[in-house]
Amino acid sequence: MATATPVPVEAPTREERVVREPGWNVIVWNDPITLMSYVVLVFRKLFGHDHATATKLMLQVHEEGKAIVATQPREQAEVSVARLHAFGLQATLARL
Amino acid sequence: MASVLKRRGRIQLRLDSQERSALLDILGRLETHISRALATTPRAYDDHVMQGEYDRWVRPEIERGYEADLGVIRGALGAGDELLVLTEGQAYAWLRGFNQLRLAAGSLLGISDDGWEAAASNQLRARPEFGMLMALGWLQEELVAALES
Repeated sequence: MATATPVPVEAPTREERVVREPGWNVIVWNDPITLMSYVVLVFRKLFGHDHATATKLMLQVHEEGKAIVATQPREQAEVSVARLHAFGLQATLARL
Repeated sequence: MASVLKRRGRIQLRLDSQERSALLDILGRLETHISRALATTPRAYDDHVMQGEYDRWVRPEIERGYEADLGVIRGALGAGDELLVLTEGQAYAWLRGFNQLRLAAGSLLGISDDGWEAAASNQLRARPEFGMLMALGWLQEELVAALES
């Protein structure tokens, strides 16, 4: 019975690419009516920020007119925008 | 005078009959103008196809949420109790509802820039919507402070 001699075989090379979707920025825009304290509370509730981080973001919105509050995959970013809209905040998504 | 406290994880809101009646009146007057304020809300997407999908699938749910929030407020005010005990979820519904009503009042008053409180003319201050905006803002601040405590 012949014994096969194991011959090393090279593993086939395959070009593998992991396609990562670019992130999306969640942007909150300033409006003159919504209270600052309310915006801080919403940022804390929706994004889990501590008080200092939420306040810093709120001040950026107030002083610069807008702030990126999160960068997420599209579906998640859309959910974040929808939740911000539900709280009455002006929010948009922008591809990175 | 109205007061808001947090006790044992719940929000206690004390409103006398006059205050409850005034809030119901404000709600009735402003809620029909919420759509006007929404018209100035920025689109979620720049891309019109994506925005169309958002309008079709997401926006109606958000608008149902606004109606539900106002329903929570109206239900509590209409119960006739001076002491309203709110869960955290109900307190957030009040906050969201008040914010929509304030945006509607701001839209009716034509407010488009920061600093409007200091810059408001006597004519603007005399308008009922201005008083509504301030009253709702005061209550919203109190609710936020209670939730943060």
